[in-house]
Amino acid sequence: MNLEKVVFSFFLILALTLNFGFFIGEVDNPEHHNVYELYAVIVVNLIATVMKFGDRSQLGAMLLATGLVAVAQLISASIVWAVAVHVQDTGMTPAVMATIVSLSGGAMLANVISVILLMIEAVMLRH
Amino acid sequence: MNLVTSLILRRMRTPFILLITVYSIAILGLILIPGVDDKGNVWHMSIFHAFYFISFTATTIGLGEIPYPLADAQRLWVVISVYITVITWLYAIGKILTLVQDSTFREAVTRSRFRKNVRTLHQPFYLICGMGETGHEVVTALTEEHYRAVVIEKDPDNLNEIRLNELREFVPSIIGDASDPVELEDAGIRNRHCKGVIATTASDATNLKIAITSKLLHPTVKVVCRSELKEYEENMLSFGTDHVVNPFETFSDIFSMAMKSPSMHLIYDWLTGAPNTSLSEPLYFRYGHWILCGYGRFGKQLYQQLKNHEGIDVTVIDPSEKLRDEFIDSEADSHQKFIIGTGFDEKTLKQAGIDEAAGLVAGSDNDSNNLSIIMTARAINPDVFVVARQNEFNNYDLYSATMANLIMRPREITARKIRAVFLNPLLVDFLKLAADEDAEWANIVVSRLSAVVGELKPHIWTAEITSETSPAVTKAINLGRHVYLGHLTQDPASRHVKLKCVPLLHVRGHEFSLLPEESQDIRNGDRILFCGTREVKNSMDWTLKVMSSLNYVMTFRTEPESFVWRLLHRYFRKVERRSVPR
Repeated sequence: MNLEKVVFSFFLILALTLNFGFFIGEVDNPEHHNVYELYAVIVVNLIATVMKFGDRSQLGAMLLATGLVAVAQLISASIVWAVAVHVQDTGMTPAVMATIVSLSGGAMLANVISVILLMIEAVMLRH
Repeated sequence: MNLVTSLILRRMRTPFILLITVYSIAILGLILIPGVDDKGNVWHMSIFHAFYFISFTATTIGLGEIPYPLADAQRLWVVISVYITVITWLYAIGKILTLVQDSTFREAVTRSRFRKNVRTLHQPFYLICGMGETGHEVVTALTEEHYRAVVIEKDPDNLNEIRLNELREFVPSIIGDASDPVELEDAGIRNRHCKGVIATTASDATNLKIAITSKLLHPTVKVVCRSELKEYEENMLSFGTDHVVNPFETFSDIFSMAMKSPSMHLIYDWLTGAPNTSLSEPLYFRYGHWILCGYGRFGKQLYQQLKNHEGIDVTVIDPSEKLRDEFIDSEADSHQKFIIGTGFDEKTLKQAGIDEAAGLVAGSDNDSNNLSIIMTARAINPDVFVVARQNEFNNYDLYSATMANLIMRPREITARKIRAVFLNPLLVDFLKLAADEDAEWANIVVSRLSAVVGELKPHIWTAEITSETSPAVTKAINLGRHVYLGHLTQDPASRHVKLKCVPLLHVRGHEFSLLPEESQDIRNGDRILFCGTREVKNSMDWTLKVMSSLNYVMTFRTEPESFVWRLLHRYFRKVERRSVPR
């Protein structure tokens, strides 16, 4: 067992699970989506993406791409949140919440792909 | 992914992860610790504000306690955060700086920059492997003619020289082993603009490997190799290397030219030397008794030249008994002598007959011995004709100081040959044909050359009659006009003045004619080798390329070029003709 692989897989899967936790619930209901959970999702996704840096293989390149997509989507979601709550006084309306949650949904799709790639790599190693 | 970016990303992984972790902990702390707002209510910082706050404290900008003055518990946390975040930043920046100074990283950066430079060469270029003296001469000659060059060299010191040296064109260069196919690929061997590969490293084995690799990776490329050993030369030629330059053989040819007549040697020297260097003096070869010190590769070549010549007898001096036996076996029926010895002592030289010798060859593979031989011989017989073999490039000045009549400098000879092969392939043919001519012919050529060249070595160029290189001439020929060589050597700027140049060789298909006459007609596809100055070449380009210049030299009439002027001209000429009574 390789500790590096454990940590790497841990962060990739944690990124997906946290993302799922934030995403689940009624899409436009602020009660169902916690801002701290989004914060955690962003931090874990950033770490997972940085961990994918510097691998020159084709698989590594695709993993990095999924990470970058997820981070881009999540940061857009957080910017929408900050603008809605702090910059313009719209507050957390259902429309804003729906935008944030759908953005995080996209990020989750990227995370799903990333985990699938991780599993493919594991299966390939087995043979 | 690019190697450089990948290296940066891989090395920055740890610092980035640390930064993200430290930031997230600091932000989390600020969110959780309660503060008091301006109305005295308990207040929690939002994520957005916490991120803002940590961003400016971590980078030591410090905009103050925003939006409300902080509670002491928050301040305590901010103090901790400031220290950990600032230290992490310092660590990350330190990591970047170490990476930039790292030698492997720098190597990767230079290599990727080199690859990019080669890839963006969108014009014909030559690949030079080995940047010794030969390589240096060749690169200078190529860039003078505005050809591009790419250089691979093992020794960084030699490259520093060209990186500082002001060449006419930018020359991408890399430190590396040219026998490695990967290096050759990086240097653009597969590039369709790569026109030639020149292998001039010091080792024959490396040159052979370069030639094989080049011919395999890019079969149409012209490959020229330097080789000093016969078996390598044959191997190189066996798979289609275009030219193999063997300095010993080439020198032997030069020596035979010098033996034939002083003019013959002058022709070689003037035409193959670097342009704008000073002209050499004629060399008066002496017949009679010759002493040959050193019977190695060099000595054997010269011996073959000397022994077959009327009026020359040779005494060979060499310390090797094995060579003496070999000599006696092969030369049993000749009257030439062989003496065991080194030749730098008076006794051996006297025994060989230095007192009344006409010539001496100092041809061992040791420079100190050669120099000593020359000094000793000159002390006994100051008039002896000296042929010296220089081995180490560093001894250049020492050999020049001996005032030897003919010095064999392998690198210079190789450079001359390669320059001719690449810049003026016809010059190689010219010299080959010239070698068969007699001394009288050589005298005529030298007198014609000295009339046009002046003080410095001439510029050699080839005029090709094709629609790309000389559009005006091909157009005139296609219109059915008769163009003669005399037209091309006419000055297009002023009538009745001849350009100061000598046409050396006219080639049509496989027909070669030496020193063509002015009445030689010109057809499409002809190639003519000229010798003159660079200014003359530029003047001739006008005749070759611009229709009105060609018309002028053919008719001596200035013709109008613009449309309106041409109409007027035609109109007035008609009037003129009509006014003439029948």
